[in-house]
Amino acid sequence: MSYYCNRIEGFFGLVLVAALLCGVPNLLSADKKREATAIVVLPEKSVLTGSESSQRLIVLDRDGGQLLGEAKELHYSSSNEQVAAVLDGVVMPKGNGRTTITVKAAGGRSAKTEIEVKGMELVSEWSFRRHVIPVISKEGCNMGACHGAISGKGGFRLSLRGYDPETDFNRITREARGRRIELSDPGRSLLLTKASTALKHTGGRFIDVGSRDYRVLSEWIAAGAMPPQEIDARLESLEIFPKLSTLKVGDFQSILVRANYTDGTQEDVTRWAKFTSSNEAVVTTDKNGRVTIVGNGEGAVTAWFSSQIGLARFSSPFPNKIPAEVFTRAVRQNFIDDLVLEQLQRLHLKPSPRSTDAEFIRRVYIDTAGIIPSPDETRDFLVDRSPDKRGRLIDQLLGRKETVDYWAYRWSDMLLVNGRRLRPESVKAYYKWIRERVANNTPWDKIVREVITAKGESNVNGATNFFGVHQDPETMAENVSQAFMSLSLACAKCHDHPMDKWTNDQYYAFANLFARVRAKGWGGDARNGDGKRTIYVEPRGDLIQPRTGKPQPAAPLDAEPVSQGDPGDRRVHLANWLTSPDNKHFSRSITNRIWANYFGRGLVDPVDDLRSSNPASNEALLEALSDYLVEQKFDQKALMRLILQSETYQRSSEALYENRDEDRFFSRQYPRRLMAEVLHDAVVSVTGVPSDFNAVALRDGSTQKTDFYPKGTRALELYDSAVESYFLKTFGRNERELACECERSNQPSLIQVLHVSNGNTINDKLSDKSSVVDHLLKENMSDAQLVEEVYLLCLSRMPEKGELERFVKILSAVKADEKKDALEDLFWAVMTSREFLFQH
Amino acid sequence: MFDFLAESKAPICGVGRSRREFLQIGALGSIGLSLPQYLAAKQAGGVNKGNDNKACILIFNLGGPSQLDLWDMKPDAPSEIRGPFKPIRTKAPDIDISEILPLHAKVADKFSLVRSCQHSGAAVHDAGWQMMQTGRRFTGGVETPHAGAVMSYLRGRKTDLPPFVVLPELMGRGGGNLPNGQAGGFLGKAHDPFALMADPSKPDFKVPDLLPPDQFGASRLERRRSMREIVDQTVKNFEASEDARLLDENFQSAYRIMTSVEARSAFDLSKEPEKVRERYGMNRVGQCFLLARRLVESGVRFVTVNTFLTVFNELSWDIHGSKPFVSVAQMKDMIAPMYDKAYSALIEDLFQRGMLDDTMVAGLAEFGRTPKVNPAGGRDHWPQCFTVSFAGGGVQGGQVVGASDPMGGYPAERPVDPGDIVATIFRGLGLNHESHLPGPAGRPFPLVDFGKEPIRELFG
Repeated sequence: MSYYCNRIEGFFGLVLVAALLCGVPNLLSADKKREATAIVVLPEKSVLTGSESSQRLIVLDRDGGQLLGEAKELHYSSSNEQVAAVLDGVVMPKGNGRTTITVKAAGGRSAKTEIEVKGMELVSEWSFRRHVIPVISKEGCNMGACHGAISGKGGFRLSLRGYDPETDFNRITREARGRRIELSDPGRSLLLTKASTALKHTGGRFIDVGSRDYRVLSEWIAAGAMPPQEIDARLESLEIFPKLSTLKVGDFQSILVRANYTDGTQEDVTRWAKFTSSNEAVVTTDKNGRVTIVGNGEGAVTAWFSSQIGLARFSSPFPNKIPAEVFTRAVRQNFIDDLVLEQLQRLHLKPSPRSTDAEFIRRVYIDTAGIIPSPDETRDFLVDRSPDKRGRLIDQLLGRKETVDYWAYRWSDMLLVNGRRLRPESVKAYYKWIRERVANNTPWDKIVREVITAKGESNVNGATNFFGVHQDPETMAENVSQAFMSLSLACAKCHDHPMDKWTNDQYYAFANLFARVRAKGWGGDARNGDGKRTIYVEPRGDLIQPRTGKPQPAAPLDAEPVSQGDPGDRRVHLANWLTSPDNKHFSRSITNRIWANYFGRGLVDPVDDLRSSNPASNEALLEALSDYLVEQKFDQKALMRLILQSETYQRSSEALYENRDEDRFFSRQYPRRLMAEVLHDAVVSVTGVPSDFNAVALRDGSTQKTDFYPKGTRALELYDSAVESYFLKTFGRNERELACECERSNQPSLIQVLHVSNGNTINDKLSDKSSVVDHLLKENMSDAQLVEEVYLLCLSRMPEKGELERFVKILSAVKADEKKDALEDLFWAVMTSREFLFQH
Repeated sequence: MFDFLAESKAPICGVGRSRREFLQIGALGSIGLSLPQYLAAKQAGGVNKGNDNKACILIFNLGGPSQLDLWDMKPDAPSEIRGPFKPIRTKAPDIDISEILPLHAKVADKFSLVRSCQHSGAAVHDAGWQMMQTGRRFTGGVETPHAGAVMSYLRGRKTDLPPFVVLPELMGRGGGNLPNGQAGGFLGKAHDPFALMADPSKPDFKVPDLLPPDQFGASRLERRRSMREIVDQTVKNFEASEDARLLDENFQSAYRIMTSVEARSAFDLSKEPEKVRERYGMNRVGQCFLLARRLVESGVRFVTVNTFLTVFNELSWDIHGSKPFVSVAQMKDMIAPMYDKAYSALIEDLFQRGMLDDTMVAGLAEFGRTPKVNPAGGRDHWPQCFTVSFAGGGVQGGQVVGASDPMGGYPAERPVDPGDIVATIFRGLGLNHESHLPGPAGRPFPLVDFGKEPIRELFG
């Protein structure tokens, strides 16, 4: 998330350097000769209204359905020069009517675009809402660092990025005794003399005298500085041209942004749009929407205009040559594979082959149930010759008790089951409530509905604790949106969201849905009392939108408001909208979370950041999967099964030369460190020595004893993130302070390495009297059998011949009384290897 | 004379090399000295002072201290702005400071204040954490590196200790789903800091798990290591995984710390006289500052100390006043005295040991506080203007650079921003802020954005 507030002066320098660097290694992508057999003109048709309107055209090389870079050596002609003509690639209106513009490019290729011109008889007027605000926004006058700051700059304050035109109008025309505009002599208006630095302006010069933007402002003033009006046409949608193009590293490309208004008119607003790249490793942009491809992969450029967002996507294939048969012959289990392979082919990436059975069994146990398979389970699976054994294993695992523990734990992360914020009995009730739903495979929409509309006593209806953790309408709204739609609304609390389409009014409308939620027993110190709370809903009461001083009619984001007089629970209205099959935010969010569980990375990354300016790495796949989940009536297990059965999930994690540089298109599995709790439980299951969980660490650093967890409790069975455990903390468990997956860390750190090497978790468990070491020593096994057993226990595979020989050699040289030490060392060596700490 | 301004990547870890070889690569390898030789040469005056001793201690004051109640007092402003405290004179004629920082007054000739720092990010903690430590906003999917990670990348490690350490642990997450700026970012996780994960003020403090269990002899450790290598040589699936490579590097680093007496003793606070420990303050902040000094002394190039770990706890510089936060007035009970003691001790100690010239101490925070005291007796987030401090590393003490307006709300003179702050740190470290790092996709990425400059007035 960035805050759009500063000007990065270094940017142009950087683009230049990048361009210079990238200009040369075009050789890299020379392997694919692009056949620009045709050209295309964008937009394909336009309506120009009034003499001030215009439309820039872009002409692109086209190869079948693929749009390539900009075509060169263009010649434009208009079938009726009386209607419109083209000047430097821009269509200028001349008179009402229709005309066809024909563009000719080298090689006899040509394309057409239809132009309709109307309203030439009307006097053109600049509108405050439609023109003045965009000029001010584009020039950055209302950025956070300038007059858009909460308290303005130099006594002049504007709403951030123009989200409040009425107030801005008053500030520009009425404040400072009206000095900011001079109706009789617009050029003397402070608004212009400052921005053009005719008078000293700390912020610098933004508008040149004589520029079009200068003309917009001065003509608006000269025409009487008319205010924004209720009847003004509002922005309905943004269109971006081109939506998707395929380019090479070093290519340039322009983007066009067209606004469609509620009165049916259109306007080329490219000059007023703000552009940012979603992935600067692939594509960079300047402030005019001139894009440079700097790397391989896919990226998008976001165009922001008047609180709406549009995306232009760019694909830049990797410099590989992959025969088409690779894709035609590739195994496809379901539509996941179709959509992944389609993208891989487009990007010239080769899919890795299928994983071995040993790789698969360890992976699928860890991802599905958070456990590693026992030696017997591994042996049985490895010798099984039936073709459907992977499918059967998947079904079996989805039905296991540990799978319930695993997902109950993951959803407890998201719902913040945290003993630093809830009393022990509430923690327990909250957790049990979640676990029960997971155990019944309750459809996701139903679970969420129950949370959102929860009422009653916190120790009885566990779901009510959601409102124990979040005790005011604003945090309730923000957390509902974050947890169930992966949308962060917090920005919109103070101003329109700078990275998404949500407005400040929408924020308060949304939060107002919770204004009537109350509880007996809110507040107070989390360490005291029984923590019982009873959640109920008042029949009246509203949250005030501070900007207007009035309640904002309660409404779920972009849906219809609740009827004002209705005394019913507004949360029901919200739940209806939120969990509706039509609410893409909802289905995409849960789909992305589930996908990320099986690949270590969401289709959208970070996994819970689904704002519109952060597109998925494979948009078609996310769309198809979330549609599937809706079709399956939010049956999470159905989606899990589909993913697990796909060839994509079952690919090897071994990188090929032709896919090693990618980390988001799922050409292979990506190795990743086990999550803290899974790793802990793996250590316990290998050694056979459980950990004690008997204290909860509170916020002030003190601890409290707990007797919730009998001996043998696994980390994934804990209710609570506040349970003391150096191991879990060091390995980055989710602390559950925020509804954010970012709180969990799966990165290997130096301190973790010290802990597995020297710390008490692995070492003490191995040397414990009841450990696996003693157990195996009693079995009278040969050295080779011991090595095999250790490998099966820890790595779910048999040792390679070389490994076996080397270990047997070491073990056979050990004296009998040192056998125990040596076996401990063998376990230690295997359990500190990346193959144990990671899954692959 | 070494040419330390050559912007080449310092070798790290060198997977597969023996420990002896480790000691001979990097900066020292270029002149063929092993570490003991280097130390001997240094003692004999054979190594130029200041060439490779540049280091930085970055104090990060989580929560955002109030400029108006600490370093930039406005005694003539109305009471709702000036707050409850009075300014006092200090050893430096140009610096007046709050009465709740009396020990600062005694070392005011050694540090300088920049009273006109501002940033353009949102007034949320994470935005400031990230900008003030990396010099940039998080944008376009590019996570920019912490200044210490840049040092780690360009200079590599000097001794067996990691080049970049965070005490006592990494800061927690704020509310914004943003990176917090305490990582290697696009330079790679190999340049993430070593985070201690322990409280050095605890009586039983030691680096967690620094040594193997007592009963293990050298031969057993050697057996473990060679066994581990057997397992790790087989499966090839990890080679394209940055995390897996990082794990290997961490094993190498861990082995170096474990086997180096000097490295282990650097973390051993019991080697300090009790009087010194008490001078810093027997609390987490004080002992972290002391540990920072010991680490720099032993060759760590960059230490970041988080004075608080999160803003979710009751105690931090985040003085909103309303529960659970402390108020402006309550700062004098615990937070200010603790910081006052620790900071003045650090400056004094570095000075007395002759380390201050080479060690820059930067006192930073994510933002300042609102000029007006709120109804709860607190002040809220305010990135528009706040004060940061610099000492050592060539900084001339006793100066005030920049000024805020009469309300402490906006810079009145010489505004500086996070890019300038980080550029100043690079200058203190002897790095050329105009040189380039390999950014995402190998694109050259300047150390700081174009136009950002060290605050030259600070350097005498």
